[in-house]
Amino acid sequence: MSTLVKPRPAVRPALRGTVLRVLPALLLVTLALIGPWLAPHAIDAPVAAPYAEPGGQAPLGGDQLGRDVLSRMLAGGRELVVTSLLVAVLVTVLAAVLGTVGALRPAVGRLVERAADVLMLLPAVLGILLVTLSWPDGGRLAVVTVSVVLGVPYAVRLVAGAAAPVAATGYVEAAAVGGERLWYLVVREVLPNLRATLLALFGLRFVAAVYLVATAGFLQVGPQPPTADWALMIRENSGGILLNPWAVLAPGIGIGLLAMSVNLAAAALVPATGRKAVPAL
Amino acid sequence: MAGPLTRTARYDRGGPAGGTGPRPVPALSRAVRYVSGVLARRALLLAVLLAFVFAAVELLPGDAATATSERGESAADLAARRHLLGLDRPVLERFGQWMTGLPTGDLGTSARGEPVADLLSRPFPNTLLLGGLALLVTLVVSLALGCWASARPGGAVDRAVSGGATAVLALPEFVVAVALVLVFALWTDWLPAVTLTDADGSPASWEMLVLPTLALAVPQIGWNTRIVRAALADESKAPHIETAVLDGLPRHRIFTHHLLPGALPTIAAGLATSTGMLLGGAVVVETVFNYPGIGSVLAGAVTDRDSPVIAGVVAVTGVVITGVLLLADLVRTWASGGRT
Repeated sequence: MSTLVKPRPAVRPALRGTVLRVLPALLLVTLALIGPWLAPHAIDAPVAAPYAEPGGQAPLGGDQLGRDVLSRMLAGGRELVVTSLLVAVLVTVLAAVLGTVGALRPAVGRLVERAADVLMLLPAVLGILLVTLSWPDGGRLAVVTVSVVLGVPYAVRLVAGAAAPVAATGYVEAAAVGGERLWYLVVREVLPNLRATLLALFGLRFVAAVYLVATAGFLQVGPQPPTADWALMIRENSGGILLNPWAVLAPGIGIGLLAMSVNLAAAALVPATGRKAVPAL
Repeated sequence: MAGPLTRTARYDRGGPAGGTGPRPVPALSRAVRYVSGVLARRALLLAVLLAFVFAAVELLPGDAATATSERGESAADLAARRHLLGLDRPVLERFGQWMTGLPTGDLGTSARGEPVADLLSRPFPNTLLLGGLALLVTLVVSLALGCWASARPGGAVDRAVSGGATAVLALPEFVVAVALVLVFALWTDWLPAVTLTDADGSPASWEMLVLPTLALAVPQIGWNTRIVRAALADESKAPHIETAVLDGLPRHRIFTHHLLPGALPTIAAGLATSTGMLLGGAVVVETVFNYPGIGSVLAGAVTDRDSPVIAGVVAVTGVVITGVLLLADLVRTWASGGRT
């Protein structure tokens, strides 16, 4: 744990390796974000026969309504990525504050621990179904809310674990005894020492969010047709998987590559402090 | 986690007192007290979860009566069905009734007026079968891979296994399922892509369980392989392992008698955490393979906006997960009790 405050040795070669492992995720996320502008056709206009094989106007064939799979593919990643990024940012910020407060004020820490214990009994997918069905007009807001609520306790645990040794250091204690407010201690004294942990946490929460948001889309409680969305495309087109496998395969590869590359990037960013690095979905 | 801390504290308090002579009865009663303490804590957590579930269903906007309403239904009809479903009574009264009904197997009434317990009684065993099989596959494969990888730390196998495990642990189950269907059902035609059911509502043949089980297990294998690998690495740094190595004990004996038992509690805890994700993932995987489990019930509930059904499913899965976590607690007690 003390490695957090010590300067890390052998930065140069490690840095290059990290960049190489983070790059695919960055490229993929960028592509998903600018994808809608690259789409050659409108996402809701038929250009071929339903489940048409690749060729001619549509390099990846047509979907169940004959819409261009490639265009929908290019357009369908942005919402997934943006929603997941939003969830990851919210969870990381909330967890950073709550976890640090928890390390400085043990009563808060215990409360968060109990909340995490309870949520461990609720599979995230069921949690999403529960909230989105009880709140039918919630839409994307419902998915984001429940993903954040379900993700925060585990994330807080990780931050609190990393913040505890920092909170016990002399200069933080000195500042606390010197009468600094809790807020100052959290923002100015402890959090700046947790940059590496928070960066890794953000990556891991992004992975978890991609999983949850995609699964919600697949269960049809997220984006509704005719939205182009990778998870929804898989669900809609699985009936014609024999006629044009690309209509299912392309979005499947999209989600798979996104989850894998972001996860490998997150793993590369994790400071070498051991088992706490195992993410909690 | 409060578990290990309280246990150590209790052991320290009991230790010197037991040193005056062999007193097996206090030790036994201490174990009983520990187990009942764990039971009580788990039961309390479950009760809090159920309260949370009920609150989510009740306090969020929208209710079952409007969700299942048909076009042209009058306000009076709606009010009548609300009354029938008991939605016009105070929230606390309904909560009390729901909670006291749970232990007797009464999970409330769905929006269509059927008892939720009846809706779940046939599909739930199928889901448990699927989840149990996936847990078993996960246990065997991740133990094997984790042990294989830790045989030569930093070697080619270790790096390949660790990298592969990290890559698959975040894959959504439905993506794995679609890939498996493409490869094993459509291109090679080795296994069936959909599940057909017998007259009693269970899968017609074992082949139909293979792909759903694999789709569920693959991400969890990734997760647990990492836990096994990390637990073994931690354990191998323990002093008693170094002593065993210095004593010249054979490698396989160190492995089976010292390394693995020490890593067992961590591995059990990891698997227990997987249970929730397996049951959650089962819902999704069942939809892909048309498997007759709670996934199909939930799919219907999604179209009906039938939140009492979801609440019932969450209650039942909560009980199952509580049971598995309890088991992991006991494994940990047993494993550490054997050594101290």
